[in-house]
Amino acid sequence: MPKKTNFVVNEKDSVTTILQEGLEKGAKLEIKVGENSEFIELTDEVRYGHKIAIKQIKKGEKILKYGLTIGIANKDINVGEHVHIQNVESIRGRGDLAKGR
Amino acid sequence: MDKFWGYINPDGTVGTRNHLLILSSTIYSNGLAERVARSVYGAIPIIHPLGRAQTKSDIRFTFKTLVGTAKNPNIGGVVILDHFIEEGNTAEEIAEEVSKTGKPVEIINIRDSGGTLESTTKAIRAAMEIARKITLRRREEVPISKLLFGLNCGTSDTTSGLSSNPALGHCSDLIIAKGGRSILAELTELMGAEDWLASRAVNQGVADKIWKTIADFEQRILDTGEDIRGTNPTGDNIEGGLTTIEEKSLGAAKKSGTAPMQGVVDWAETPPNTPGVYLMATPGHGAESITGIAAGGSQLLVFSTGGGHTISHPIMPTIKVTGNPFSAGYMRDTMDLDVSDILEADLTIEEAGEMILKEVIEVASGKITKSEFLLEHNTGFAIHRIGMST
Repeated sequence: MPKKTNFVVNEKDSVTTILQEGLEKGAKLEIKVGENSEFIELTDEVRYGHKIAIKQIKKGEKILKYGLTIGIANKDINVGEHVHIQNVESIRGRGDLAKGR
Repeated sequence: MDKFWGYINPDGTVGTRNHLLILSSTIYSNGLAERVARSVYGAIPIIHPLGRAQTKSDIRFTFKTLVGTAKNPNIGGVVILDHFIEEGNTAEEIAEEVSKTGKPVEIINIRDSGGTLESTTKAIRAAMEIARKITLRRREEVPISKLLFGLNCGTSDTTSGLSSNPALGHCSDLIIAKGGRSILAELTELMGAEDWLASRAVNQGVADKIWKTIADFEQRILDTGEDIRGTNPTGDNIEGGLTTIEEKSLGAAKKSGTAPMQGVVDWAETPPNTPGVYLMATPGHGAESITGIAAGGSQLLVFSTGGGHTISHPIMPTIKVTGNPFSAGYMRDTMDLDVSDILEADLTIEEAGEMILKEVIEVASGKITKSEFLLEHNTGFAIHRIGMST
C-alpha cells in the first residue's frame, strides 16, 4: 500500500493535510473523503504537515478541519492553494477568551 | 466488548490492578520507600520532592494528591512512610482518609521506629502482612461502565491531531456509550478549543465552568509575568503547518471524542458517576496532568503521542498510542499500540478507535503495558504546585 499523499480528517473539512515532502506545484493529488475520491492540482509548492484547500473558500468563510472551525479566510482561496497564515486569521484574537462570556 | 476483569474493592470501585503501594509522604522518606520496595515482592514505591516547607495551599495539593493516589481503585493496600511531622500532610492524616476505602493501611515513621534500619525492618514486615492479605484477591468480570479512564497527549506532532487523537476520541465515545467516564485535562492545550468543548456541555452551568476554568488557568500564567499565548502556536508549529491556536488546540481536544461534557472537576477530584467526559483542571505538563487524573481515581490512561513519549504512571496503567510510523518503529519498546495505518494505509479513525478500545479492555483486565513490564515506575508522577518553597 503506497503512503498517502494527503489526509482529510473529517467529511466536512475544507482542507486536507499534505503527508509527503517535495510535492511541487502542478502535482495532481488524489483526495479521499469517505468513499469518494477526486483529483486536485496543487497550485503552490506545499510541505509535509501543511494544508491545501479542497473546496473553494470565499473571503470571510470558515476554514474547517476535524469538522471544526480553525479560522476564517481573509481572502478568497482556490482549490489546491496553500492554506496557512497568509490567508487565514484566527477567530481567537487575544483577550477575547474571557470577555464576551 | 462491554466487560473487563477487575478487582472489586470494599467501597464498590473496581481496580485494574491490585498494587501494594509504598507511599513516601515527604521527600525525606524517599530513601526508605525505595529500599523497601526493591526488597520485597510486587511493591510499587511512590516518591516525590515535596511534603515539607511548602505554602499552605501547596501542602494541601500534595496531601490531596497522595491521598487520592493511595485511594485509587488500583491500590490493594498501602504502607505510608514518614519522617517529620508536617501538619496538613502527616502519615496519620493520609492514612485516616485512605482507610475510609476499607483497604489495609499501615504507617511507619522513621524517627519513631528508632532510625533508618529499624524503620526498614518494620516497613518490610508491614508490607509482608498486607501482601499476604491482598494477594488472595481475584479478578471478577465487571461491566465497562465501571471504567473511569484518562485521556492525555504529549510530544504531539502533525500525526497527533490527524490520527491518534481522533482515534482516542472515538474510543472514549465507545466507552461512554457503554456507561463509562473519561477525564480530559491539560488546560494549557485547550486554549482555543473552549467554544467547541462548551458547545458539548450538558448545561449552561457546565459550559460557563469550562470557559472559567481555562481562563483562570491562563490568568495564573499571566500573573507570573509570562504570556505563553504570545507564542502559541509557536514558530515551530507554524513552520510545521499549524496555522492558528484553535487548529492546535482542537487537534488536542479531539481526543475527548464527541460525547457530552458532563462536568468540571478540580485537580485530584473524583468525578460523579454519571457517564460522560469530565474536564479536570491540570497544567499541560504530562506527568503532572496524569498524576492529577490518577489521584482522581482513574484506573487506566491512554496517552496519545506523535513523537513517542516514555511517560508511565506508577499505579495507573498508561497505554501509549502513536499514529507516527517512525515513532512506532524507533520507540517500539514503549509504544503499546500503533495506529499509523490511518495515515499510511486504509485504517479508518473508527477502526483505530476500536483497536484502542480492545487494548484498553485487555490492559484493564490484567495485560501489562510495556512500561509496567520494564518497571518504569518513575516517569509519570509529579505533584503540581502553585507557590514557592518556604
